[in-house]
Formats: sequence, C-alpha cells, structure tokens
Amino acid sequence: MRKSLTISAVVHAMVLLWSLIAFAPKAFEKPVDSVPVDIISASDFSRMVAGSRSAPKAPAPKPVVDKVGETKLTDNSAPKVVEKPEVIKTAEKEAPPEAKPEPKREAKPTPPKTDPIAEALKKEQAKPEPKKEEAKVPTPPHRPDPPKPQPKFDAVRIAALLDKRDAQRQTSLGEIINHTPTLGSPKGSAPTLSQNEIDALRAQIRRCWNPPAGAANAQDLRVDMNVKLRIDGSLAAAPVLLERGSSPYFQVFAESALRAVERCQPYSLPVAKYEVWKDIDLGFRLDDLYGG
Amino acid sequence: MRENDLLVPRPLITRRRLLALGAGAGALGLGWPRSALAAVRVEITSGDVQPMPIAIPDFVGGTPGDTEAARSVTQIIAGDLKRSGLFAPIDPAAYIEKIVNTDAVPRFEDWRAINAQALLTGRLTRQPDGRLKGEFRLWDVFAGQQLTGQQYFTTPDMWRRVAHIIADGVYERLTGEKGYFDTRIVFVDETGPKERRIKRLAIMDQDGANVGYITRGDDLVLTPRFSTSDQVITYMSYGQGDPKVYLYNTKTRQRDVVGNFPGMSFSPRFSPNGDMVIMSLQQGGNSNLFAMDLRSRATTRLTDTAAIDTAPCYSPDGGRICFESDRGGRPQIYVMGRDGGPAQRVSFGEGSYSTPVWSPRGDAIAFTKQYQGQFAIGIMGIDGRNERILTSGFHNEGPTWAPNGRVLMFFRDNAGAGGPSLYTIDLTGRNEQKVPTPSFASDPAWSPLLS
Repeated sequence: MRKSLTISAVVHAMVLLWSLIAFAPKAFEKPVDSVPVDIISASDFSRMVAGSRSAPKAPAPKPVVDKVGETKLTDNSAPKVVEKPEVIKTAEKEAPPEAKPEPKREAKPTPPKTDPIAEALKKEQAKPEPKKEEAKVPTPPHRPDPPKPQPKFDAVRIAALLDKRDAQRQTSLGEIINHTPTLGSPKGSAPTLSQNEIDALRAQIRRCWNPPAGAANAQDLRVDMNVKLRIDGSLAAAPVLLERGSSPYFQVFAESALRAVERCQPYSLPVAKYEVWKDIDLGFRLDDLYGG
Repeated sequence: MRENDLLVPRPLITRRRLLALGAGAGALGLGWPRSALAAVRVEITSGDVQPMPIAIPDFVGGTPGDTEAARSVTQIIAGDLKRSGLFAPIDPAAYIEKIVNTDAVPRFEDWRAINAQALLTGRLTRQPDGRLKGEFRLWDVFAGQQLTGQQYFTTPDMWRRVAHIIADGVYERLTGEKGYFDTRIVFVDETGPKERRIKRLAIMDQDGANVGYITRGDDLVLTPRFSTSDQVITYMSYGQGDPKVYLYNTKTRQRDVVGNFPGMSFSPRFSPNGDMVIMSLQQGGNSNLFAMDLRSRATTRLTDTAAIDTAPCYSPDGGRICFESDRGGRPQIYVMGRDGGPAQRVSFGEGSYSTPVWSPRGDAIAFTKQYQGQFAIGIMGIDGRNERILTSGFHNEGPTWAPNGRVLMFFRDNAGAGGPSLYTIDLTGRNEQKVPTPSFASDPAWSPLLS
C-alpha cells in the first residue's frame, strides 16, 4: 500500500514536472516571416525545373567586377598597353602607301620601344627562370651557392631592380557590374513566379481586357506579345507582338490586347523576383469564353 | 521602301555596299522577334466582355451655325454605338479636355484619366455650295495614336445618314466587323383595335427615325423582305381574293405583282444577288417551293412533296436553300441545293422549328422555335449543331439578320401588351434592345447597308 502510494506520488510528481517544462510559456519570439506555399503536383515541379533542348544557351556567368572599365585607376598600367597599339598603328598607316621606306622605318621604331629598365628587368628575370627549370631544385631560395646574384651584386643595381611603379590597388574590370555572385537569384528562391503570382497577374490583365468577342472565328484568334517591365511594374517599352496576322479581326484583336496591357500598368508583382518578370511573354486567346 | 532601295541593282559591288546589304538583311531578320526568350509566359484565356468605354465629345461646328447640328450628329453616333451593346459612351460631364480643334492631337492623359479606351472627335461644316461636310478622327487613347479618320460630303437633309456612316466607321475600326447603322428596317405597322387591326407596310431607319408608310392599310400585308443587294422589298398582300407576292422599289416607289399563280403564294424572299425570288405556292393541302427569275419571269419548281414546305431562304453564296417543312411530322428545318433535289434535315431538337434565316456571314441559321408553349429565337450552325437560344417567351417570332450578321431583330408579343413590338438582340444574347416604333409593329426585315 505504502509502496504503491509512493510510486504513484513519484510518477505524478514527474508528470507534473514534465508538464511544467514542456508547456512552459516561451518568451516572445520574433514572428517568423511567412513563407508563401504553393501546393503543386510532382509533374508541375518537374516541369518547373526541367531543362529544355530548345532553350537558348545561358550566357556564361560574368566575373564579379567592382567597377566598369575606363576608370583613372588603370592609368598606371596604361602606358605599356597603349604604347603597343600606337606603334602598330603607325606601322599600319605607313604600310599601305608604298613599300620603300619599310625596311628603314621598321628597323627604327623597334629599338626606341625597348625601355632600358624593362630590358634590364627582363634580362634579370630571364636568367634565373631557365636555370630554375633546368635545375629542378625544389627550394631555390635556400641554395647556399647561387652563382649569379653574388658576382653581379652591386649597390647601384639594386635601385634598378626596385619596382618603380606606384603602389596600386587591384580592381577587376569588365563591361557590366555583376552584383550577384551566385548563379541563383539573390533571394535564393526558385527562378519562377509562383502559381499564385501568375494567377494574380492573369486576373489583373483579364480585368483590363475587353476582347472583341463577336468576331467571326474568334476562337481561332490568338495574340502573343513580349512585354518588358520596369521594377515599379510599369512598361519599360511598348509591348511587341511576336506574330502578325493579316485579317482585320486579328488587327482588332491584337489592338485590344495591346490596349489591355497598356491600360493595366503598373503591374503588382513581387519586387524580389524582378529578374524573373522583367521580361514576360503574354498570350491572349478566348478559349474560356467559348468553352473550349 | 528601304528594302527596295537596297535591292536596286548597282553596277559596282563595293565592300561598303556589301556591308550595308548585310546590315539591312540583319535588320530585316531582327524585325521579327521570333524566339521568346522571356522566362515567364502567361496565358490569358478570357477577358472582361464589357462594352468598350468610348469618349464622344460633341462634334465641332465648322461655322457658328453648325454647332447645333454637330451636337445632334454626336448624339446619333453615341446612340448607335450604345445600342450595339459593344460600346459604352462616357458621360460628357466627366470629360476634362474640351475639343476645340479636331486637327490637333488630343491630350491623351486627360482621356486616360476617365478610362476612355477610344476617343472620337469630329467636325461638321456647311460648305459654300450648300453641302454638309462631316469628318471624324478616331483615337486609341492608351496607344496614343489615330486609328482612322474620314470625311464625307452630303446634302443637308441626309445629315442623319452622315452620323450613321460615321458610327459604322467607328464600329468597323474597333470590332473588325462591318457596321450596320446606315440601314433601314421595313416592318408591318399595326394600329387600331385588335378585331379590326390596320396593317400598313412601313419603313424607317434602324434607329427608329424617318418613319414612312408604303401601303395605306386597305389590304392586309405580311412578311416584307428586303433584297440583300438592292433597296427593293418583296412582301405578301391580301388584295381581292388570294394573297399575292409583290415587289416594291423604295427608290422609284413602283409596285409589281410577282407572277400570277393560281392559289396562294406566300413567304417570298430574294436570292442574294437580287435577281430571283423564292417563295412557296399552295396547291391543295400542300405547299411547295418555287423560284422565279425576275427578268425572264420563268418559274422553277424546287420541291414536290405532299407536305407543307415554306419559309425558304438562300445561303449568302446562293448555293443552298434552307426551308421549313413538316414532311417528317413536325415542322423542322431542312437544307437543299439551290436547284432543289434531296433535302437534309438539320434541326433535331425537341419542339418545332420555323422561319429559318441564313446568316449573312454564312455560318449560322436563325430560327423561331416552339417548345412547351414558349416561342424562342435561336441560332444554330448550318449543320444543326451548336444550337443556342437567344431569347424565349410568350411569343417571339420572325428573326431577321443585320447585314453584318452580328445582331438579330424580331418581334415579340408580350402577354397583355396588346400588340407586338420590335426588338434587337446580339449573338451573345446579352444585349436586348427595344426598337422604337410609332405603334405596334411586327415582321421586321433588315435592309443591306445603304452605301
């Protein structure tokens, strides 16, 4: 009796203790950002991520770049680069007139091009390199008996060996500044609009569109257009028809669709996915209206 | 034009010219952005089938004396477009910009602000020679460009027609269909008490204006029909004795009896080119279809059955004839070749079908259907499929097509109304309008476009 009572008391106490811990009110937490969830079927998902044979080749990712080219920071390295084209140009210009002065002038311009310092540098660099390769010694600096620096050591020549260029910062240059270092979108979400967002866009355009419903064979009419959007949802340029038809019905139909697209702006689309929707294809047809 | 310049053969082909040709070819290729590179593709498969909001500010009078007439013209145009059910003229009180010069480009943002999709501006000027000049420009407000612009000259008494013609121009440019506003309606005007109803043949503009009477009401008239190519009417009239089919030219006001047949001849209708009249002739208890050449007056028998074949109507190309026949027991719609021969039944629904009328577009047949005590106006494909009832009620009958095949007119006798009235309904069945007539009216027939 007493034994069972104690067991009961202990178990009760344990359950109470556990519930105290388990159901203890938690401190206020920052609410988690809600995540829009779309329920899609497996086939939808595979379609979303599938590649297409006919798809255009994606451009190679651009190197990350801090600045667009043609900045003054590059001046220091410029002289070397600029000199060569100049020389080539003069040679080219002179070549077409005639061939007589060629041997003289060709011989002349080349020597002044060589910079004594650079030449010295080149010689210096050229000498050790082949030797290193030939020797194939893994640790050349620790060699006790290097033959070339010692005999030629001269305090005056040290100055020549110094790098006389100003200190400079390395900047990578390119045509386009690339802000996105990864291949994915900055937010890391899938590179498509969700079905809800597409539906919202579709509903918005549908409300603006007054199709000419009574046209003969309106069921067969369809218009495809490409639309470029700004980040604020307005049109960046007039929509472009992807195909043209000749019938007057097509013209009226296309005009009604173009009018709808113009009328509907600005479009409310998630700014975070701008890269996805800045370029949209819209197809207009009246299937639903004719129940088919 | 540019391309032509490039293609002109030149004696010397220099490198520069080759480059220019290459660039031109490249530009031509780029002009058609074929490949869709966009990541997102959205299909819009239905729209908001609402009337298009259109702003129609009062036309400008070319001289101070024309202002009043210009305003009337504007109202007629707005009325025409509104009745079509495809346009919603915006209340002029909302207009921001006042149009004073129709040659200047309007301030589109002012019209976008009131959500007008199209803007119609125009001017009416009395010319020194007494004629009227009506001109208009139609603007696409959201695209910011002129869609069309026209001018017309006419005599001052035809000013209503100028308004209708302009309305037709707007309708055609914005729907891709021909308009139907510059047309007339012939109908049977009914006055007097029900027991001694006086029926006169009357003609009016499609909007109910300019009513004129063709007969005096001594004889009973029925089933007037317009020629589809000319302003000639054929109708049936009970004179002395048997009813006869008559022809009436609305221009010369000349009247003719069509043929002289023993027995009744009725439900006449023109062939599409206007040189034949097809009708039914009663012989004993049966009636059969006959076609008569209006020039040679030669008659051809088309059917020979022991049934009642009536209400014949040609297809728009003149190659086939649809008609009503009770050879299968109940009145149904049949189609046969223009020279008779075997007929094919096309209506298979419950109830009985009558008064088939082939659409001017050629793709549908309108009919009156009697089923469960109700009279309905409907359309079906020429093979009998896709039957659709547009309106149904106590008594609806006698559909007639607008020349563009978009709208039907018919007459309806509401229970207790005392007499029939004319109505129009469009093919969607959503836009039904009563046509103003001076008194009761029945048996309407739509003319072709006057111009």
